[in-house]
Amino acid sequence: MQNAKDSFYMALRTRLAAINPERTILLRGAVRPGILVEEAEAPLSQIPNDVYVLRWIGLCVDLDQASPMVAEQCEILYQTCGTQSFGGLDRGRTLSEMDEEVAAMVQPFYTPKLNYTATPPAEMITKVFWDEPRFSPIVTQRDLLSRSANLMVYSYQEQGE
Amino acid sequence: MATAWFSAPAPIARRVRGYFAPVNRIAQTPVLFDPSEEGRFSLNAPPSPWISLGWIQEFTRKAGSKTATVLTGIPAAALEQVRETLEAQVSFEFLSWTKLTMALATGSQHMNLLTSASGSTASADGAQAVTAVVPQSGSTATFIALAATDASKFAANSIIAVDADYTGQTGFVGTPVSGAYVRTALTDVDYIRRVTFNLALVSAVATTGTTGLTLAEALPGGAPAAGAKLQTVTGFVDREGGSFYQEWSALFVMEGNQGERIFYHYPRLQSMASAQEVALPLDGKSKEGLARIALKGQFLALPIIDPLDGERVVCYRSFLPAANALV
Repeated sequence: MQNAKDSFYMALRTRLAAINPERTILLRGAVRPGILVEEAEAPLSQIPNDVYVLRWIGLCVDLDQASPMVAEQCEILYQTCGTQSFGGLDRGRTLSEMDEEVAAMVQPFYTPKLNYTATPPAEMITKVFWDEPRFSPIVTQRDLLSRSANLMVYSYQEQGE
Repeated sequence: MATAWFSAPAPIARRVRGYFAPVNRIAQTPVLFDPSEEGRFSLNAPPSPWISLGWIQEFTRKAGSKTATVLTGIPAAALEQVRETLEAQVSFEFLSWTKLTMALATGSQHMNLLTSASGSTASADGAQAVTAVVPQSGSTATFIALAATDASKFAANSIIAVDADYTGQTGFVGTPVSGAYVRTALTDVDYIRRVTFNLALVSAVATTGTTGLTLAEALPGGAPAAGAKLQTVTGFVDREGGSFYQEWSALFVMEGNQGERIFYHYPRLQSMASAQEVALPLDGKSKEGLARIALKGQFLALPIIDPLDGERVVCYRSFLPAANALV
């Protein structure tokens, strides 16, 4: 299951870097594409603005298939106050940009499954795939706009996993 | 840890993609799809002469073939089975309205509404059209060379129909797709351009220099043939009634999430239902609100003789497994 989660995150991170190279985050002393996995970082009191935070929530396993299928629910959280240069008046536009980036990042709806515990990462023989994201309504807290996108990420358990 | 194989579960596919190719009605020759040679084609760039009609939905196959048993003995027991009838039907909904999807989803001929001449008498399928113009030499599938005076009659973003004048012939007419079957000689010189599938959108008009029309898409029939003329088209019309049936070769593809592919190839598919639409509400909770109007197509599969063994068949189902999947 961890290989599927890692592969999904790395696919989105690679795609984000291509879609919007300027969306970055300084994390643990390194500048990285602006997407992180919540459970793989130090606990956050509040999610950072203008980046994407992946949160893994639900889990289902279908053992009746020729290869067991795992479905993991992923929530992509993001929020913005807009930019300082516009005094935050562009927060709606900034959130729309992030919505569009999420819609672009998830396409195509599959990626090869890789084992990232190996160096270099070892490509496995099945693909990880997911369905269309379901966007939540915008939540407004003063000048902060936030939203989440939910999707199910599917993968087959391979021998040895 | 990676292994060399896996037991593949049933394919999981998102949608179905449809491709059509014209049957040569005069020679009665369908287009055959060879999955062993062409099975891994890019879904966005099908091999010639297949034309992508995009994603379709509510794809349903129904086999109408009937079998009967030959009984023998007392009491009677089945000795063997025989196939009494051979029939298959396909239905689905197109998610776009184009010349081709409209034509496929109607049970009769599909016509172009040629731009009418000033002052012409109104007609339900298009009044007398403006005079057609002749392409010049040097025309290609994406550029129609015209005299400057002719080019000035066209505008960017208009649709053009390119085909020959009608000269009284009977039988199938239209290039590269037979758009109609003429039973008795007609008098409309523009008739073939009214039914032709050789259409394209004009992206730019040049009235100086190399004068002509640049097309946003290639003409299905390629460079204009000798004798072809062009006219502008304002829209399309089809009729309930008539005796012409569209016939196409069809290919439907389901691509699984592991890269496996399922193909359904119908060498001869004729539309069998009259034009009909389905209203699909955009918001499932509000049936009375906005709705997408999808074209519904229903088709009857006709048989061909498989040269491999002389059997009569109506459909081929092919499966290309995922890489590393056990078979």
